[in-house]
Amino acid sequence: MPKLLNIITSEDPSVRDTALGEACAELSLAELLEECIELDLFRREAGNLYERVRALFFLSAIHRVHLPPRLPPRRMGYIPFGGQEHLLRRRFAEAIDVFHLAVAEQGANDALSSALAEGYYELAFQTLAAQVRRSVRTVRGHQWMFRMGHPADHPLSIRDELLGPLPDGSRRILRERTPVRMDLSHAGWSDIFFLGMDYPEGARVLNVSIDLGVHGRDPEPRPPIEAHVRVIDEPVIVLTSVDLKATARIGTLGEIFDFAKDDLGLLKAAVIASGVVPPGIEGSGQGLGNLLERMVGPGRGLEVVSWVNGIPKGSRLAVSTNLLAALIGALMRATGQTGSLTGPLRENERRLVLARAILGEWLGGSGGGWQDCGGVWPGIKLITGVPAEEGDPEFNVSRGCLLPAHHVFGEDEIPESSRQALENSLVLVHGGMAQDVGPILEMVTEKYLLRSPVAWAARQEALALLEELVNSLQKGDIEALGRAATRNFRGPIQSIIPWATNLFTETLIARAEQEFGEDFWGFWMLGGMSGGGMGFIFAPERKTEAQEAMARIMEETKDQLQAALPFGMNPVVYEFSINHTGTCADLLEGGMQLPESYHRLQEPASEGGQGADRGEAESGALRRLMEESGFDHNVHEGIRASVRAGRIGMLSNRLPPTTRIEDVGADDVVDCSVVAQGGEEARRRGAEALAGGEVAVVTLAAGAGSRWTGGAGTCKALNPFAPLGGSYRTFLEVHLAKSRKTAREHGVPLPHIFTTSYLTHDPTSRFLESASNYHYDGPLFLSPGRTVGLRMVPTERDLRFAWEETPQQQLDAQQQKIRDSARAALIDWARNCGEASDYTGNLPEQCLHPMGHFYEIPNLVLNGTLRLLLEERPQLKTLLLHNVDTLGASVDPVILGRHLERGHGLTFEVITRRLADRGGGLARVDGTPRLVEGLAMPDAESEFGLSYYNSMTTWIDLDQYLALLGLTREEVLASDQDRLARAVRDLAECVPTYLTIKEVKKRWGHGQEAVYPVAQVENLWGDLTILPEANCGFFLVERQRGQQLKDPAQLDEWFAESSQYVQSLCEWE
Amino acid sequence: MIPTKAVITAASPTDHHLPLQTLVDSEGVPKTALAIILDDLFASGIGSAAVIIHPGTREAYLQAAGEHADRLTLIEQSDPRGYGHAVWSAHKFTGDDSFVLLLGDHLYLSSGESSCVRQMLEVTATHDGCISAVNPTHESELRYYGTVAATRVPASPSLFVVHDVVEKPTPTQAEQELIVPGLRAGNYLCFFGMHSLTAGVMERLEEEVSLLGRGEKLGLTPTLAFMARSEKYLAAELAGERFNVGERYGLLRAQLSLALAGPHRDEVLTDIIEITAHSRPGCQSS
Repeated sequence: MPKLLNIITSEDPSVRDTALGEACAELSLAELLEECIELDLFRREAGNLYERVRALFFLSAIHRVHLPPRLPPRRMGYIPFGGQEHLLRRRFAEAIDVFHLAVAEQGANDALSSALAEGYYELAFQTLAAQVRRSVRTVRGHQWMFRMGHPADHPLSIRDELLGPLPDGSRRILRERTPVRMDLSHAGWSDIFFLGMDYPEGARVLNVSIDLGVHGRDPEPRPPIEAHVRVIDEPVIVLTSVDLKATARIGTLGEIFDFAKDDLGLLKAAVIASGVVPPGIEGSGQGLGNLLERMVGPGRGLEVVSWVNGIPKGSRLAVSTNLLAALIGALMRATGQTGSLTGPLRENERRLVLARAILGEWLGGSGGGWQDCGGVWPGIKLITGVPAEEGDPEFNVSRGCLLPAHHVFGEDEIPESSRQALENSLVLVHGGMAQDVGPILEMVTEKYLLRSPVAWAARQEALALLEELVNSLQKGDIEALGRAATRNFRGPIQSIIPWATNLFTETLIARAEQEFGEDFWGFWMLGGMSGGGMGFIFAPERKTEAQEAMARIMEETKDQLQAALPFGMNPVVYEFSINHTGTCADLLEGGMQLPESYHRLQEPASEGGQGADRGEAESGALRRLMEESGFDHNVHEGIRASVRAGRIGMLSNRLPPTTRIEDVGADDVVDCSVVAQGGEEARRRGAEALAGGEVAVVTLAAGAGSRWTGGAGTCKALNPFAPLGGSYRTFLEVHLAKSRKTAREHGVPLPHIFTTSYLTHDPTSRFLESASNYHYDGPLFLSPGRTVGLRMVPTERDLRFAWEETPQQQLDAQQQKIRDSARAALIDWARNCGEASDYTGNLPEQCLHPMGHFYEIPNLVLNGTLRLLLEERPQLKTLLLHNVDTLGASVDPVILGRHLERGHGLTFEVITRRLADRGGGLARVDGTPRLVEGLAMPDAESEFGLSYYNSMTTWIDLDQYLALLGLTREEVLASDQDRLARAVRDLAECVPTYLTIKEVKKRWGHGQEAVYPVAQVENLWGDLTILPEANCGFFLVERQRGQQLKDPAQLDEWFAESSQYVQSLCEWE
Repeated sequence: MIPTKAVITAASPTDHHLPLQTLVDSEGVPKTALAIILDDLFASGIGSAAVIIHPGTREAYLQAAGEHADRLTLIEQSDPRGYGHAVWSAHKFTGDDSFVLLLGDHLYLSSGESSCVRQMLEVTATHDGCISAVNPTHESELRYYGTVAATRVPASPSLFVVHDVVEKPTPTQAEQELIVPGLRAGNYLCFFGMHSLTAGVMERLEEEVSLLGRGEKLGLTPTLAFMARSEKYLAAELAGERFNVGERYGLLRAQLSLALAGPHRDEVLTDIIEITAHSRPGCQSS
């Protein structure tokens, strides 16, 4: 049997748990390709779901990691567009077949391997997700809800206790109060459904139900979640989220299934998952009124209200999943689906609520782990995976069941004194960071299935540590518990996912250690990653002091890092106590009413949270910022008119359809990816230029790195993204470390310039000052932006073009439905706000935008930085320009030498294309080589015929560039602002203006946030290649040099592939 | 053993008038619902019957029973303490004998040669223990009926061994606990309103009545669930239909079924078609 297949199918755990990396190490290219064929055959035929999935992950990892280094160098490859289309439409199996056909034609190559890796990866997750969905649907007790398609068949009715009016004419309100959960350990994210269902023995979570209050705000902890249900005299369903300040009167079935239309998706999911409006009735064309008549009575409806007492989003306490469970619980009680109308639930009822909450999560397009409904149960419990047995729907499909088992520890196991001791020592906080934990969960799943040796050993260690935590609790030894929790965080958690921690968390821990010494007993991370909900354990006699101290430390650290890390809110210290009942309901009547804030919401003058307009103060701040940043009203009005008229727009970004786009030929590109003949001469020449002080580096750091924080508006350059050389390093530090090394090697200070914008200038300046410029020896400049635009509300035409005409990754059916619904709502929003009107409903920094990287070098001219440089070193001849996320870019003397030898005005570095390298590339356009932006491609397919992707790294011959601007060094030094500004404007008119749609986050309330599309216009640097007088050349460089790190989801792969290379270029202070 | 006694419950404080309503039987003769039930019982071989009635309705019931009045024992349930308590009220009448239990507000119409009561008695001739008549019922109707968890008796397509009885289950509970192999999806075995019960049921009811607190009510379901756990208990799917004359249009449906089952079928059908043809939505009666 082929070696890799044997790992998958073996009954022997020692074989089954072999790491893929180890198994591949000794295989040749031919052997590895042979193994791939066998694995592919196996994944097509295997009956066992998890074996199939594991084979898919093996294939993905082989094509991504193990095959590329073995492939023949410089074998070009083209990814067939047909395959890409299949990928976008989620037809992953078909895409893989297309890519295999291409391999048969072209031979194995890097480009096709990247495409196959993606196809297998997505197919693996699609297969897993489909199985979880199937399991959710086939749970006994759910199936009837998918059968029910007509109101006359509705089997539920509201309980009499809620129907009958009270003497004063009002009706009783059913109130469900639910604690949240904190996990003392999730044993290496073992609560991910996929893990629990494949490795039930290893799925173990220690989970505590807690009441919560905000320290200094609430008198005492209470179950933070409340769900209210009452009968109303109108045939509608009224949904209200008190925290989101959102309410909706729903009169049709369609609205209930329109999850993203408003902020009430979670309440709608609860109404559906509880069976009140069963999922089977979606699209039936029936009336909600008829359904309510059968269930509640003629002319009657239901009101559902949710409230989480201001607990912030991202608390890692599973607030939203427990809220979903509370809503479902209340609605199930109200419709007689539980034996008890009030009081705690029975065990079988809790399990049913859990199963329905999982269904609700699936319907709502989210996906918490199976421990997240922990608040439904009381006290401290061990939640474990359950092996599937005969009779279970999962039997012979997956090794484990969908639903876990809950063991609630009794007094005899964990005495009250231990629980009290935990309460007396734990300081529970929310650090304020808002992060997406999704990429981490995908990384964990993949590492588990590949049995990465480090991650696998860490998983076993985490399981042992969980037992240690339980033992400590049983003994009431909270100090030992704290130490074990810290070891869990430092050891297994970070061995599996280094990105679970960050500089903010590390600083908090270090300062707690510093201030409390031996009395700081430990740290524990709540949920999937740190920065949000966290626990700090102290000696009990110092807890009160520690609560105040942690509030202060978090505040100070946030102030220090808020430009660098995505904070959604101010840090909070909680008060908490262990909840002993789990979810519990009571009936309100008479004077007992809904939360006060609910009534305020019903007042006609109240406004929705996120829809509320900004205050006058913020409008003033925006005006001031616009003035300071050189905003040009006339230009802006001109742009607005062009956008409205369609002269600037998504469609007009494109080159005419008759444009001939072809791949470049061998002569168009100089291969610098390997040091070939003549390399030594180039090196000598480059080194000479360096030693002569003729070179400076320009790093583009004006943008927020929207993909890095999902539009949160922090400075990407300042983000301490990864531990390198023993510390968390910012992008800024890495670039300076490379320049430091180059400068020292060549014995001359190397000037380094970071371009900034209104968004990044002050934070970058402050940050560098506080870091003492990282002790950089050479001249260090910040080049502030001199051009700024005001974002606009997009036109419907451009939104539809972006969402309907541009190829997009289709999502999983339910998520796609939610995205479509959200987009329909956003189109309405754009229409209501006024197409191409100014976008001002956000923080001032989020309303403006830099006008594209075309302006970054002109800004050096306009803001005097170039003048300073030339005054400091008149011999300056060459600038190396690169993106902040191109971590491998450096002043390589060989490439510099080649650039000088060729005498190009602008030399652009390109890399061979992989599937993820989207957004244009190097092409012959009507016969002339140039860079083409993705926006400008006449159609989606053209890009797939191109071999090279633009890394954006550019060598600039200063004199030739100034000539392009029509300037001389003398004019730059003379600094006649009008002359310089005219020169920049004239050049800008020679390049196209693009309209792009960006996503910006708007935050409000307690860490709530929404993402809005905005339109902005940009001129792009690569379009200088259109101009013959720019004298452009193109160099092929190795991938590690040109790779951009745009998304935190790339971190794992980047760390494995490129971090060593980058570190070899750096010299840390 | 084939029962010769029957107990009919009609003591509901709100619905005790239902068995007194007059219908036209399948032969075209006007009769009360009670008389139609009694016709069926005595024609099937039952020797005597007791009706549990609401206090103050004795005369009306005697009159409604017509020619069967002298074979009838009327027992007043002075305090409305639940269906189980009503059944227990007949314990002196049933003594140590098994008995057939029917609902006074239900009419049973056979779709075969034998009446529903006769079909039931035929089952008791070959099987001991409690037997409940059941029929497959859609999950949307579960809120009205007791429902059984059961498995089929091999080689007896209409007989089931009952393992549990649940009163008015939710569809969720039904799906988790009450699925019967062989039934269509979403259908469960619900009570037909007719049982053949042993003296053991009365003994169990006696125990439960003795434990009944002030103001508490006693259902029959817990006792039947107990019987299912403690002794052989069968369910029989009868060839027929039950009509609850108390539900909306229940009386009309019962009447139509009776009329269509007799010699005047064509006449009634013609009338239905004519009424249908001339009717318009929203027409008001004058």
